[in-house]
Amino acid sequence: MKYQFTLVLEQERPAGSRLGGVADPLEMLDIASDDPEAVRECYAERGWGDGLPLVAPTPERVDAMLANCNADPDEPVTVLPPRSGVATRRVIAVNAVLAGCRPEHLPVLVAAVRALAHPEINLRGVNATTHPVAPLLVVHGEIAQTAGYNAGLGAFGPGNVANAATGRALRLILLHVAGAIPGAGDASTQGGPAKYTYCVAENLAESPWGGYAASVGVAAASAVTVHCGEAPHNFHDMESKDPAAILDKAASAMTSLGSNNAPVSSGEFFVMLCPEHAAACDGAGWTRDRVASYLHERAQMRVGDLRAAFALRAWAPWQEALDDDATMSVTEHRGNIKIIVVGGPGKHSSVIPSWGMTRSATVPVEV
Amino acid sequence: MRIYAPVGAVGPAAISRAVTGPTLAGKRIGILDNSKPNAGLLLQRLAEGLAARTGATVGLVERKNAALPAPDDLLARLAEAEVVLTGSAD
Repeated sequence: MKYQFTLVLEQERPAGSRLGGVADPLEMLDIASDDPEAVRECYAERGWGDGLPLVAPTPERVDAMLANCNADPDEPVTVLPPRSGVATRRVIAVNAVLAGCRPEHLPVLVAAVRALAHPEINLRGVNATTHPVAPLLVVHGEIAQTAGYNAGLGAFGPGNVANAATGRALRLILLHVAGAIPGAGDASTQGGPAKYTYCVAENLAESPWGGYAASVGVAAASAVTVHCGEAPHNFHDMESKDPAAILDKAASAMTSLGSNNAPVSSGEFFVMLCPEHAAACDGAGWTRDRVASYLHERAQMRVGDLRAAFALRAWAPWQEALDDDATMSVTEHRGNIKIIVVGGPGKHSSVIPSWGMTRSATVPVEV
Repeated sequence: MRIYAPVGAVGPAAISRAVTGPTLAGKRIGILDNSKPNAGLLLQRLAEGLAARTGATVGLVERKNAALPAPDDLLARLAEAEVVLTGSAD
């Protein structure tokens, strides 16, 4: 089947739109059908899309996505590198429609885009590197429940609309607005499955230590964290009640020569504990800080092994001064180890190393 | 029917390149080594070749982490050169 489409400039602006000279009107395309495969083909000819069928972003659907948005939809939220693309709420909403989001997901997506713009995220590097890094979006607080995000069994997927569609929309924004297109704006050697969708919710109901966002000083009812990292590295412990035995397995996953954290000593780790592992730690009286401190102490690597493995290292001067036979923690500070409760029944948890030259950002969700 | 394009506008460029001069004779060539494997060697050889052909001199050599923007003080030092060579991937 051959689809017909032509590029035209939008002639009419939605009522109430105020451009103020800061954002150009979005281009519009004429297309014969709103079939998801037709949209995919139309977009693919322009180098857009993620390879999967796309929901047609008609003005009606985009307006419905923006229906609860109280801010100017054409006001820039931020500018995303390397393309220097201007992310307005309208263009965010277009990508939300494409991905299959519902309107209640839009505030999460806008907050995620704000987080991506934080300088410490280093989005230009994240998008451009040969490493398979992808921004993980973690949803915290009330909106995780009210908008239907999955924090329980199978939280990393598949199956939940909110997790799947919001993560996909964030990737589409990176592709379209930021220009992180493989080859032109994303040099990832192998790419990675987390670059399709990577969104999860914190299991606040089963967190013995309260919410993660509040623990890093964001006291909003709803918040998101963006951590630019690798895909989750699983560890399981079916037999231990002792937190140390469980966490030693996490420390083992953290001390792989295969992760970018090995040569970058300032890198963060997100340790996503399942509720049963978290309960074992809490039952023994361990706080979130104690878990992080223990992992910092146990995730040790021999300095000479790291030197032999990596000619290029981003270490502090005091680390470079260590003897080969010394050991050091794979990350400089215990504060670089972030603990979040995610998942349902079972005894599988995960470690998510970072790309290295990036730091996570937690921001409130404005609803 | 009509659908939106998904890309939006492009914002202003963060920085612009300087105007290229008519000749490099007598100019100073700087090198910004991004620390990728062999980047310093490659850029040094390129700078030496360029200098030999044009009458320029190889002056400053600075080094930065490949994954982070160059710090302001480093850029200020490099600004003393009229030409800067940089850019090397894995």
